[in-house]
Amino acid sequence: MIPETMQLLPPAVIVLGGIGFAMGAMLVWAAKQFYVETNPLVDALLELMPGANCGACGFAGCAECAEHIVAGDVAPDVCTSCDAETFEMIGELLGMEIAAKEPQYPVVLCQGGVNCKDRYDYIGAQTCKAAILLAGTKKACAYGCIGLGDCVRACQFDAIEIAENGLPKIKKYNCKGCGSCVQACPQQVLTLAKEHGPVYVVCSSHDKGKYVKEVCEFGCIGCGICKKNCPEGAIKLDKALAVIDQERCTRCGTCVEVCPRNAIVKL
Amino acid sequence: MAEKSFVREVVRGIIKDNPVFVLVLGLCPTLAVTTSFANGLGMSFAFAFVLLGSNFFVSLIRKIIPSGVRIPIFLLIICTFVTMVDMLLEAYLPPMYEALGIFVPLIVVNCIVIGRAEAYANRNSVIFSIADAIGISIGYLLVLLLIGSIRELFGTGKIQFVMLMVKGGVPGFYPIGEVSIPIAPATVMITPAGAFFTIATLMLLIKIIGDRKRMMQLKKEGVEL
Amino acid sequence: MIETPGYLPTEALFPIVVDAMFTKNFLLVMFLGLCSYVGLTTSSETSKGMSMAVTFVMTMSAILTWPIFYYLLKPNKLMFLQTICFILVIASFVQLVEFIIHRYSPALYRSLGIYLPLISTNCAVLGVVLLNVKEDFTYGASIVYAFGAGLGYSWVMLATAAIREKLIMRGVDRFSGFIGAFFAAMMMALIVVSYFGVVKL
Repeated sequence: MIPETMQLLPPAVIVLGGIGFAMGAMLVWAAKQFYVETNPLVDALLELMPGANCGACGFAGCAECAEHIVAGDVAPDVCTSCDAETFEMIGELLGMEIAAKEPQYPVVLCQGGVNCKDRYDYIGAQTCKAAILLAGTKKACAYGCIGLGDCVRACQFDAIEIAENGLPKIKKYNCKGCGSCVQACPQQVLTLAKEHGPVYVVCSSHDKGKYVKEVCEFGCIGCGICKKNCPEGAIKLDKALAVIDQERCTRCGTCVEVCPRNAIVKL
Repeated sequence: MAEKSFVREVVRGIIKDNPVFVLVLGLCPTLAVTTSFANGLGMSFAFAFVLLGSNFFVSLIRKIIPSGVRIPIFLLIICTFVTMVDMLLEAYLPPMYEALGIFVPLIVVNCIVIGRAEAYANRNSVIFSIADAIGISIGYLLVLLLIGSIRELFGTGKIQFVMLMVKGGVPGFYPIGEVSIPIAPATVMITPAGAFFTIATLMLLIKIIGDRKRMMQLKKEGVEL
Repeated sequence: MIETPGYLPTEALFPIVVDAMFTKNFLLVMFLGLCSYVGLTTSSETSKGMSMAVTFVMTMSAILTWPIFYYLLKPNKLMFLQTICFILVIASFVQLVEFIIHRYSPALYRSLGIYLPLISTNCAVLGVVLLNVKEDFTYGASIVYAFGAGLGYSWVMLATAAIREKLIMRGVDRFSGFIGAFFAAMMMALIVVSYFGVVKL
């Protein structure tokens, strides 16, 4: 080997080795000095969980949820983003039996969108919350969907989009039922429902029937025909809006057929 | 899981796991050195050297690396190869060394190299790690050449193709051809803004094509959209 | 006799800072630190955290690595070890800081502690240190340069986060993710490049 190279070798080894040793020693000391207790079970559980931090469980993030699950405060099935396979693995880890909850999907209780008249042209920040700040909603119906997509932005799984009719459309193959969109909607026209669940009145408007007829093609006018025809008496009228009592509803579908406005839908 | 084979791993590194467009890693050198075809070529050679060396060594000693300190050990191994290639370039290819500047030492913190060491070489055999390194290097080479060519073409009106050769005993990147188009060059393409623009447009194209393919596949499966 | 770069008048520090923040901005002109840039500018919260962490780490790295280069490596003609030594020092320092923050301030740890491991292999931090050596700065100048580089990184991060948040709000779906980041970066690179006359368009 070339003499100059050999000359450099000892100082190189000493300097690099010295720095490496010094850093290593410092880190070993620091690791002991600044040790923070964490439960390894929480870390293992966190690995299994989806880690999307969607907030459906009600906690601020997957980390917090994992801590509460291990502490026993909540059952693991509070995480709606886990599928059956994940629940099995979590069950194995924690030593408990978990059954996956039946999947729930959001439902839009509005059929307005392009079918509902606009009160004015809105040129502002294109969010639903901002649109409400300006003299109430831009739609003629004060209760309906505004269609500017706050729900779309709240979704972390790309499972909802505003369709051509101006209403949110759910992409079921992506939806995890976390409910972020439901919480994000300032008009509260979104709600979670099981797959083959109830019958819903797809309207949220409490306006008088005459007004609803003018502004929206499909809105509930509070005529009460559904109420009269329901064999179980499960429908009530709440301020010009029909409301179905889900516990008494037998999904017979009579109301769907008799509604003159096509405002009731069986999912 | 599909059976692994050497060729399949190589091909995967080029398309399915393309480092820039799919994994979106290692953006710094990609945008910085692609001011011309030649620079892109030089960078991808240096990168390939480091990646091959690091993947090989990491997978060689993967069984005896303690898990807690694996990242510093990867860094050490990668740094050795980076210093080697740095010195080689400085000695044998000075113009390329000048052109690449600090991006050669920065290969040591290139997310692709560390990423592959951690995600692949640490878990697979030596043969497959080498295959992966070859694939990723080819993928990276293609990307750099593509972006370099586009920027050089629209930035200076022509692409100067070069190749690593030894002429008259002196190794270097010698020109082997030229393509020019009769337009007034837009110097902005050589600037950083041009770099961002080129990569954004390419990614946009890829996204549009990818989305269309995914939609067609979902339609075929009959999923309700 | 240990040789270090000569005296630098205080006035010369101003061009260094302007260079670091604008004409040779690390993100827009030197292309350093892009991976974290495109990943974290989706919201201004993460950008704020990352900017603070990066500025801090850059400054401290400059403070730590300058003496190592000029007092340990150069006198022993070991300049080729600079890359590995700098990385060792930066990574260890960042790990130390993470330990301290995790122990003494869980709130700070939650907001910026998770970015620290990201920074130890960030090309911007290593880039600052390598450039300090290449430009032959004095100790004070290198610290000022590193701090200026951190500020330059911060303003670009925050501005890009602002642009991208608005892009998302406008519902321009095609420009979400990396594509939007790069278009926003392109707009800002154009501003910096043309305003400071780096290259004539």
